[in-house]
Amino acid sequence: MELKIRKNGNNYIIDVNGEMDLYNSYKLKELVMKMLEKKVERFIINLENVDYIDSSGIGALIYICSTIKKMSLKLIITNIHGSVKKVIELTKLMGYFPITNSIEEAILQMED
Amino acid sequence: MADKTYLSDIKEIRVDENSPLFDKTGMLYKEFPSDYRQIRYFTLLIVQSAPLEIKEINLLEQQISEVIKNGVKHGNRCDAAKKVRVWYSFDSTHAHLIVQDEGEGFKDLEKWNEFNRNRLEILSAQDFERLSDYVSFRTQKSDDNDGGNALFAALEYWNGGFVFNEARNAVAMLKSFPQKKHAIG
Repeated sequence: MELKIRKNGNNYIIDVNGEMDLYNSYKLKELVMKMLEKKVERFIINLENVDYIDSSGIGALIYICSTIKKMSLKLIITNIHGSVKKVIELTKLMGYFPITNSIEEAILQMED
Repeated sequence: MADKTYLSDIKEIRVDENSPLFDKTGMLYKEFPSDYRQIRYFTLLIVQSAPLEIKEINLLEQQISEVIKNGVKHGNRCDAAKKVRVWYSFDSTHAHLIVQDEGEGFKDLEKWNEFNRNRLEILSAQDFERLSDYVSFRTQKSDDNDGGNALFAALEYWNGGFVFNEARNAVAMLKSFPQKKHAIG
């Protein structure tokens, strides 16, 4: 799994590439925690290039989401598709995660 | 407004040694040492015998990987001397697995069912504030890499049942796939 950060205005977009599984999901958690230390306030996690997620990956997203919610900061998860979407649906978390269909939509929603 | 669909059919993890899902007749068999680093590899060795149409890209692999991981990690506590044994059978209409470890068994099964019932009630009430406390099932033995959510999805995915034996160290599961209708003509 590879993580890249890019900036769009005040939004930090994290592009996740690869599989979010039991061996590497902690990396995304660690990256977000480091960004929080650096006072980043608006996160967009882009899962466009993620085709596999397991319970550790879902767990990492839950941890990130609940931490950011508690701090009253902003997070949007975007471009969920394929079996990643199915796993989140099976876990009934589609309503829990703040989700958009595209980065553009995520950026618009950040402004609300 | 409350969404009753979550409550219409509350599924539970059952304990039933006599379930037909434990009938191993005609099933293939593999066993693995409890090596955490190789869980996904072991899973691939199993799932490679499944026909493409039931793999749903990698959903079947992911669901099997979770059950093997539970055996390796929570059952056998990654003790390489202890084995995880897997019986499996696949065709275009079903996936049937039995996974057994050498651990003490899933002691928190009743607690898990109660937690899941609460979770589904909260989902039904669409109470996303309280849902935060019910997204991950934790025990004293959970660590940071445990998502605590694998069994929620398992119970939904394995639509033909997800059943433990009396010792609770073996779990049998079945997923039925709808038969594709052929065009008449």
